[in-house]
Amino acid sequence: MKVWMQPIEMIAFFDVTGKPRPLRYRWKSPLDHSDHELRVIKIDRVIECREEKLVGNRMMVYRCQSVIDDLEKVYELKYEFNTCKWYLYKM
Amino acid sequence: MFSILHVDVNSAYLSWEAVYRLQHGARVDLREIPAVVGGDEASRHGIVLAKSIPAKKFDIQTGETLFSARQKCPGLVVVSPNYKLYMQCSDAMNDILREYSPVIQRYSIDESFMHYQPAILQPKNFREKVMEVAQQLRRRIREELGFTVNIGIGPNKLLAKMASEFRKPDQIHTLYRHEIAEKMWPLPVSELFFVGRATTKKLFRYNVLTIGDLAKTNPDLIHRWLKKPGLLIWQYANGLDDSQVTEQPVPIKSIGNSNTLAFDVADRKTAHQILLALSETVGKRIRHIERSGRVVSVTLRSAELVTYRKQSCLEIPIDSTTLIWKEACRIFDETWKREALRHMGIHLSGLCSNDYYQLSLLQENEERFKKLDQTIDKLRQRFGDATLFRGCFSHSPIQPLMGGVIQEEETEYPMMSSYL
Repeated sequence: MKVWMQPIEMIAFFDVTGKPRPLRYRWKSPLDHSDHELRVIKIDRVIECREEKLVGNRMMVYRCQSVIDDLEKVYELKYEFNTCKWYLYKM
Repeated sequence: MFSILHVDVNSAYLSWEAVYRLQHGARVDLREIPAVVGGDEASRHGIVLAKSIPAKKFDIQTGETLFSARQKCPGLVVVSPNYKLYMQCSDAMNDILREYSPVIQRYSIDESFMHYQPAILQPKNFREKVMEVAQQLRRRIREELGFTVNIGIGPNKLLAKMASEFRKPDQIHTLYRHEIAEKMWPLPVSELFFVGRATTKKLFRYNVLTIGDLAKTNPDLIHRWLKKPGLLIWQYANGLDDSQVTEQPVPIKSIGNSNTLAFDVADRKTAHQILLALSETVGKRIRHIERSGRVVSVTLRSAELVTYRKQSCLEIPIDSTTLIWKEACRIFDETWKREALRHMGIHLSGLCSNDYYQLSLLQENEERFKKLDQTIDKLRQRFGDATLFRGCFSHSPIQPLMGGVIQEEETEYPMMSSYL
């Protein structure tokens, strides 16, 4: 997996404890040089999720699985509590 | 039975910056390449604030200009400081410390003392117990927060602090009384806490080279050489220190703000305006701690880096922005040699409580200033520093409040103190 750390648009739900769970996001791969617009990717499964607070900055890290271009891919997303931003962390 | 732990972050600004960047997907770890955290060169704050260990190998010193640092190491990576991040890191670290002991003293942004007392009063293996806690702290800070610390363990604050300075990074050292002769005495005297450059020079002249030499010297002699502070460092050299770990901040003896200006100032009017901007900050801070000061001093540094300072003692202590400014301007007019200035500062000392003080028959209408200051302070506290400022600052390149590390911050940025 390669580190991208690319900001993404996300639809997520927050459970009653305030923990976010990602559902689907819009993204275009930097390697995709076609004229395609941003594409919507549905998250099929959250395999693992953990919280990190490096330098006191809280982030949720999700290891997820989706079908992209008919291929099953595993990748990581990050959510930063401080800024409410979602990132595609590694793919 | 208790021990004091001193926790010190290894090259704090730089490693915090490095971990923050790694968390945001950076590919290089700043700690592994020659890198420094440096001020903004455009506004002439371009000095090295922190350096990585590879940068140290190029003989780059904290405090030197970025220009000379770049000459020593071409390709040096320079990153700007982010004080809010540093506060956040420091808060997170202190939160972890608080899980182990209720008595934590935040000594500066990257150093804290912890008073550790186990639940059982006289456990047999007390020292192992303390070591275990230190190991846990070190591991948790490294794993959870991502940066490394040095921990010093000692019977008092001084020895704990000395111990944390030994070998770096990511180490735990102990310095109990029986270890002083072996671990602390062989070190050069300049390594001792409270011994600065000037004192080192004096001690060298009397052939006191190591901390051990100092400890074994007759205190009467040292008193003759260095007066009262000499006795203090003699006690320190012998590992004696009875200061407590307290949550209360160290008593404030003076308050001052200074600023390296973005441009050289050579006219009186602009200089007075800068003094006003500094007085605003000094005034705000002194009123916040509810005290007044009797001694106003003005520091000036010319474009040729010659620094001079003049102070004057007032009959009556003051805390009003306007009065501080007027006095500072008076001193400035007497002192200034008409050359271009690059750095200016105002300090207020001789502090006394606001409860009792001498009133004057001749003082200007002081009540009015008091009310005005109170109102301005309240407004600024509630709505921010930019809420209102004096008219002379509109359309001016000078900020209406000058000095301080973080602008518009409620809490004071914890600065280093020279007292334990």
